[in-house]
Amino acid sequence: MKRFTRREIVISASVAAPALILPRIAHSAAAFPAKNIQFVIPYAPGGGFDIYVRVIAPVMEKYLPNKVSIIPINVAAGAGSRGVAQLYRAKPDGYTVGILNIPGMFILQQQQGAGAYDLSKFSWIGSMGEGERYVISVGSKSPLKTYADLKALSAKRPVKLSVTGPEGTAFAATMIGAQLLGLKTQLITGYKGSADYVVAAIRGDSDAVIATIPTTLRFVRGGTLRPLASFETHSSFPGIPDATTLGQPELDNISVERLIAAPPGLPVDIQNTLSTALAKALADPVVVKWAKENDLIMKPRTPQETARIIADQRAFFDKWKKYLVTG
Amino acid sequence: MLDMWLGGLQGLLHIDVLLFVLLGMVIGLVFGAIPGLGGTTAIALLMPLTYGMEPFTALALAGGVMGSVPMGGSITSILLNTPGTAPNAATCLDGHPLAQQGKAGLAIGAAGSANALGAIIGTVSVLAVLPIASDLVLLFGPPEFFLMGLFALAVVATTSHGKALRGLVAGGLGLMIAFVGYNDIAGGERFTFGVEYLWDGIHLVPALIGLFAVAEMIHLMIKGGSVAKSAAAVKITSMTSGLVETFRHWPTVLRGSFIGTTVGAIPGLGGTVVAFLSYSVTAQASKNPESFGKGNIQGVIAPEAAICAHDCSALIPTLTFGIPAGAEMAVFMGLLIIHGMQPGPLMLRDHQVEIYGLIWALTASCVLASFVGLLFVRPLSKITLLDSGILVPLVLSTALAGSFAIDMTIENVVVTAVFGVLGYMMMRYDYPRLMIVVALVLGGNIERNFHQSMLMGDGGWSVFFSRTISIILMIATVAVLLLPVFRGVLQQFHPRKVQAERGHS
Repeated sequence: MKRFTRREIVISASVAAPALILPRIAHSAAAFPAKNIQFVIPYAPGGGFDIYVRVIAPVMEKYLPNKVSIIPINVAAGAGSRGVAQLYRAKPDGYTVGILNIPGMFILQQQQGAGAYDLSKFSWIGSMGEGERYVISVGSKSPLKTYADLKALSAKRPVKLSVTGPEGTAFAATMIGAQLLGLKTQLITGYKGSADYVVAAIRGDSDAVIATIPTTLRFVRGGTLRPLASFETHSSFPGIPDATTLGQPELDNISVERLIAAPPGLPVDIQNTLSTALAKALADPVVVKWAKENDLIMKPRTPQETARIIADQRAFFDKWKKYLVTG
Repeated sequence: MLDMWLGGLQGLLHIDVLLFVLLGMVIGLVFGAIPGLGGTTAIALLMPLTYGMEPFTALALAGGVMGSVPMGGSITSILLNTPGTAPNAATCLDGHPLAQQGKAGLAIGAAGSANALGAIIGTVSVLAVLPIASDLVLLFGPPEFFLMGLFALAVVATTSHGKALRGLVAGGLGLMIAFVGYNDIAGGERFTFGVEYLWDGIHLVPALIGLFAVAEMIHLMIKGGSVAKSAAAVKITSMTSGLVETFRHWPTVLRGSFIGTTVGAIPGLGGTVVAFLSYSVTAQASKNPESFGKGNIQGVIAPEAAICAHDCSALIPTLTFGIPAGAEMAVFMGLLIIHGMQPGPLMLRDHQVEIYGLIWALTASCVLASFVGLLFVRPLSKITLLDSGILVPLVLSTALAGSFAIDMTIENVVVTAVFGVLGYMMMRYDYPRLMIVVALVLGGNIERNFHQSMLMGDGGWSVFFSRTISIILMIATVAVLLLPVFRGVLQQFHPRKVQAERGHS
């Protein structure tokens, strides 16, 4: 019964005008939520952010005080800025929430100007998992066996690193990471998506690649990629150097955060209801199993912790942004 | 290995799984036929429904959708000159002229059977190649992608016989439009005039809907009457005649399937390029190239066989490396991940049964959809007899709504309208639309891969000359460009022989 309603709504939401969405009124004592909640994903279906929401949102529904649906809506235009602007302008009533890519949104604002939204003013709900950290790797056929080999190469000539276009979060991670490691680099930019630029290193387009741990793990297990150094404080790959042993603790600040936000001015009780439901969803067996299969860490965050994350990331990003100025 | 094929097939042969393949097939047909919707939207919408399903069943459903979308798309291409999905745009070029001649039934029949055959050939090749697929994918890097793009442009350019200059103008315009938006290499946006929508470039599907559907409707509105000229002619066509045509042109089917399979396995080029490439190569190989664009049945068979074969082999880069070969595959990857299957090198090892089941489902759906399509050939052909007063508003509103529905942006509709006028002007002044489409699709790819090649080779050209496949591609491109010259020379020295050949065909 519930599933049927959701299908109807999802189909009408995506095929016809959004006006066709018929809010379903639930009868219950608690006032919120009284109708379906829209979950704005500022990217196209199929990407990482989309998948997180599509896995977690249906579980989050179960933990809301009333029986309503959470409906993912992809607003992909303008490299994500339209979706975020739409979320920012929506009524702060708890019926519109969204997922934000940090530092992706910083990069976007830097490229496009501050735009129609102020990231520090959003009402934060929490995050979908812990931020993903990075690792530098080479293809398994590469002559570089250790991090020392990579440093030696860098002393001779710039190390070629494959990476996405300058708008991507991977680009920022690669630029900042290479700076911190003191590598002399030449970037091969423009690859589409996270798998594409890692495969470029496997293929031999580039000497090495800086990618998130879940992505890297997938290829390391397949025997096509060899990690050389982890950006984590404590390496999750046995036997390779990490931020601590490299003497560069700041490497651990480079991450991708998937933060959940509502429009500015959300009443605190609604904010807590949503935040609690999200935290419970992250501990639900369905999500835990999925996270384990995909090497993700599902640690819940309170609204305050989330706000702190964004402030820390902002400070870190501002410190390094001079290396990210392009075109 | 054989037991794996059979294992996948066995998994599929359960009544509930088969029902989901069937359901996927019907949804795919409908979504394929409506311009702007296509497989991407269908799978995205079905995703939440699959949460409670077994992974295998979910894949069967997705396979069902993906298999039947090309058939649905070809129907609208032929009847209304409106590509149901982007790759079907190539089918418009000869499919619609056939409909105008009252041979819509023939064209749909041929499209359906070409689809089915293409899928079968594609499946067999993919099954054979899958164990070594990952090595194959790694053979193609930026220099090869760049040269592949150049090769495809050259093939298509030489198809516009006698209109070489107009072809170049259209191609140049397409390339210029393709460069709107983000600069993938250096960052920043170009030619966007401060419009946020243009940051992501001109979207392909709204542009195609404009170039074909809207342009055709403007044309029909001005001309008046109906698509097909006489009712008597429409009645003659039967579903079997199209079938027979496909089997008569088996070299075209084989060539199309071959192109579809090989190019599909290389990530990044996508179904639209494959369809146009197959179309152009077929026109090139024909002894009678002038008849293309005027209703040559081979112009329907070639792209349709290629599209279905491509859809099978496009699974290779998606599954083995997680590199989606287009929007549809990207959404499909999302579905895989939600069901706990991470595309990548381990996928082939850990989820063999699911993969082979998926391939079987896709093929089964492709074949089934063709039969369903064939059953409805007769009633569907009647659409071509509708008066323009009824047809034009219907198609225009569907086309514009479809364009809006892609990602709910009103700017898509503006793009469709602008390209509609452009498409009509190109029809009117006889500029080949083929070139603008191919340039539009390939422009960004060619530019990006060229820059990446130069970065790989430290700014030198040697990177193109030190790789085997890249050298082969260069030779092929030069050969394609010289072919018309050779033909011309041959014609000069043996005019009678060439003419006799042409007369014979």
